[in-house]
Amino acid sequence: MNMIKALTLLAACAIIAQPAYAQQRSGPLRIEITEGVIEPLPFAVPEFIAENPAAQEFAANIARVVASDLAGTGLFREIPEDAFISRLTDFASPVQYSDWKAINTQALVSGAVSAGSDGRLTVKFRVFDVFAEAQLGDGLQFGGSTSSWRRMAHKVADAVYSRITGEGGYFDSRVVFVAQNGPKDERRSRLAVMDYDGANVQYLTDDSAIVLAPRFSPTGDRVLYTSYESGFPQVFVLDVGTVQRRAMDVAAEAMTFAPRFGPDGRTVVFSLTEGGNSDLYKMDVDGSSAQRLTSAPSIETAPDFSPDGSQIVFESDRSGSQQLYVMGVNGGDATRISSGQGRYSAPVWSPRGDLIAFTKQANGRFHIGVMRIDGSEERLLTASFLDEGPTWSPNGRVIMFTRESQGTSGVQSLYSVDITGRNLRKVTTEGPASDATWSPLLN
Amino acid sequence: MKLHSIAVLLVAAFVVSACTGQGRFGGGGLNGGVDQSAISDPTSPAYFQQTIGDRILFAVNEHTLTPETEIVLQQQATWLIANPEYTAVVEGHADEQGTTAYNVALSARRANSVIEYLIGAGVEEGRLRSLPLGKARPIAICSNESCYQQNRRAVTVLTAGGVS
Amino acid sequence: MQLQTGTYISGVAHGGLIFWVLVGGLFLRAGDPLPVQTTDVSLLTGEEFAALTAPQPSPIQPVQEPAVVQPDLPQDSPAISAQTDETVETSTPDAVAEPEKDPNPQQPTIVPQQPDEVTETAPDVLAPPVQDIATDLAPPSDAPPKATAAPRIAPTPAPETAPDTEIADTVSPQTAPDQNADSQVADKPATAPQQAAPEIVTEAEKPSAAPPRSLRPPSRPKKPTVALAKPQPAAPKENAINDAVAAVVAETSTATAAAPSGPPLTAGEKDALRVSVSNCWNLGSSSSEALSTTVVVMVDMSREGRPTAIKLQSSDGPSENATRIAFDAARRAVIRCGASGYKLPSDKYSQWQNIEMTFNPERMRIK
Repeated sequence: MNMIKALTLLAACAIIAQPAYAQQRSGPLRIEITEGVIEPLPFAVPEFIAENPAAQEFAANIARVVASDLAGTGLFREIPEDAFISRLTDFASPVQYSDWKAINTQALVSGAVSAGSDGRLTVKFRVFDVFAEAQLGDGLQFGGSTSSWRRMAHKVADAVYSRITGEGGYFDSRVVFVAQNGPKDERRSRLAVMDYDGANVQYLTDDSAIVLAPRFSPTGDRVLYTSYESGFPQVFVLDVGTVQRRAMDVAAEAMTFAPRFGPDGRTVVFSLTEGGNSDLYKMDVDGSSAQRLTSAPSIETAPDFSPDGSQIVFESDRSGSQQLYVMGVNGGDATRISSGQGRYSAPVWSPRGDLIAFTKQANGRFHIGVMRIDGSEERLLTASFLDEGPTWSPNGRVIMFTRESQGTSGVQSLYSVDITGRNLRKVTTEGPASDATWSPLLN
Repeated sequence: MKLHSIAVLLVAAFVVSACTGQGRFGGGGLNGGVDQSAISDPTSPAYFQQTIGDRILFAVNEHTLTPETEIVLQQQATWLIANPEYTAVVEGHADEQGTTAYNVALSARRANSVIEYLIGAGVEEGRLRSLPLGKARPIAICSNESCYQQNRRAVTVLTAGGVS
Repeated sequence: MQLQTGTYISGVAHGGLIFWVLVGGLFLRAGDPLPVQTTDVSLLTGEEFAALTAPQPSPIQPVQEPAVVQPDLPQDSPAISAQTDETVETSTPDAVAEPEKDPNPQQPTIVPQQPDEVTETAPDVLAPPVQDIATDLAPPSDAPPKATAAPRIAPTPAPETAPDTEIADTVSPQTAPDQNADSQVADKPATAPQQAAPEIVTEAEKPSAAPPRSLRPPSRPKKPTVALAKPQPAAPKENAINDAVAAVVAETSTATAAAPSGPPLTAGEKDALRVSVSNCWNLGSSSSEALSTTVVVMVDMSREGRPTAIKLQSSDGPSENATRIAFDAARRAVIRCGASGYKLPSDKYSQWQNIEMTFNPERMRIK
């Protein structure tokens, strides 16, 4: 009897186990990859092909700007030209992928430039995934005057960057900033505008008055800033095209500063200080529809709009120390969003709408950081003696800010950092610079 | 007390020697060079600057007056009342350990503390103006507390010409 | 000692179970389409494993100043309506000429670089270069000689280019890499292996200072990974190529009924494959959207362990763009690290002839 029981048990086990074994053998092998690497993608931009002699110089320069743009993101690593095995000689010829695989090029940009006799330039390009032996996306072609060759190069780089990373581009953009000069106790400052990579600097004011914190309008055609040229701080509007400026018409002799355009390009939010108290106000840039947004004995300043224009983030010390608050665009209740130890200031809302960048002071150090718009997931990206004034790239991926070096001979410079905290690097400017604001993508 | 006067004199002399004339802040009226012999004249701006003291200091992030600073301001008020032909711009300043916009606001608070005190002491309101300069105009440029302390100041700057 | 009846039965049952598991496969018929052979369990030697897991060397990117080409400023750059300004000229490292000042301060000359109009056109002239696909199909002459022709999937030229120009609308999985080229030694740039840190450390991240950090916030609720489910039917974006490929693959599987399959792949072998692919799965240039996208791809392998076809099975991405980027990264990973063939046991080929790989970047986001 016991023997029968044992055999029955055995048989039962066999029956139960069998389907499991069978299942193992059907269907393809399955594996799950959950770990990868994070490293710059190797790419190559051979010199663009000049389709006529007049385009030769442009072809070389445009390729260099494209390569600099991509390498400058920290997400790409350029394979230098002296490593190339073969050259691209004809834009229409097929790519010898093996030659590029051999030097570990994963993305290849080929381009061609032709210069018309009418001063017009045509730039076209293709980008390839070398290991997949496939072109990525459509080729594109740009036309413009020869004097805008840099913009065309940036547009090529934006398209390549976008196609490979999936992010929007940001290279075809400009930055308005304050160019500084002189020792710390005799600083001269003037407004300037440049391409995001430091080229094409132009000055918008002279240095006869202190200027602070310029901000672009949403279309990049005007700049709001604070100037002391009237003898006290006052918000000015400057037209970039004509370089004409005027004081924003608030009350007579009202002291105003820290202005920002709303996304409609017409509304301006700013701080007004009266009797020692600073509050936020909003009005049309032409001076109409003035509205007071806060009435607190604390300091309210450094406001910024959300990208949809429905909310304002700002800095206030109503709790006893500087913290960040969000309120509706017409004022009213403000919700505090900063929660860590330290003082928070200079908030800026990402163009993607999902993050707010800020300056934080803690333990004697300054940091640039980001947090979600509800204040969660705070991350600090930098740390130094003095970092402040963050501004977002048009695609919300990169933050530019001012860093001041310590000491008697300390100077201010512009730096940029990727939102992951990688690729911290200095922005090349002619001299000391501060208070940068990034324009949206041009055109 | 003597040390205090010497310190005030030194600081005042240092500041005065750095003055470069009008337009330093863009259009604001600022007295230029000082006639040394005028210091003894109690009605001269030099006397105001160097004997009474044209500036007071603040603690970090603070804009409140201390008993010591109130003594100086009292003397300033007395002088201003006795010399009605002058108006004054009260500059507020902050040290570099802060962000730009906040420091403008903080320096405005500091200037306002001085102005309110002077008005309370009898100076006519229309003769006083605030000029918050944030951290843009430090007088001491090292990056430690000995310099920061000097920069956290409010300076009463006289302008000749009475209120119209 | 005296054995109890219960202990005796239990011992027999356990022993029987173990015995059955070991050799029971020999007797299975139902539901098993392929004949089973007994083979020795194969183990990777230490060298093989090391070779399989050798990281792709690449140099550390040096931090460099952006190489800004300072152009000569155009003649008509604007002056500022300023009187005198020239004291500002400081020496600059690049010695760039100051923009010309307008002699007449009242009329600033001109439009400072108002962004010139740059027109963007999708060209009709820009047909992608025609690939000489025919030659790619030829078996590599210097590849290790094989008696049987490896099954190879390759598209005809026309369909291959069509998806390329339509990349905006469809995610078109690409097909075999150029096997010809891969006969060369796997690319090894002459640089030191990159030191890989386990995670990104920002300048702000000191032990004391760390607020909780996450690279990307999860933007959507996590969907169950496809890997656990049965293989999905072909992706909605299936096109003619997929059909053709799938048909050929099906043919091939039945055609290789005689291919060895052996005992199941060991965990070690699967791990080795996973690690191989992981080493080439570079997420450094993916958008945050793509980093929240899990893609499942079906990889067809040749007998030499080279991927011959990679097809997108499914994706949980928030957008087509994210899916495309995630698929690109997955495809590059599979192709790059499989360039000289994955180290998979040839006697178990039928088991890894088609591999479904799920690329789940969730843990990468925390870095």
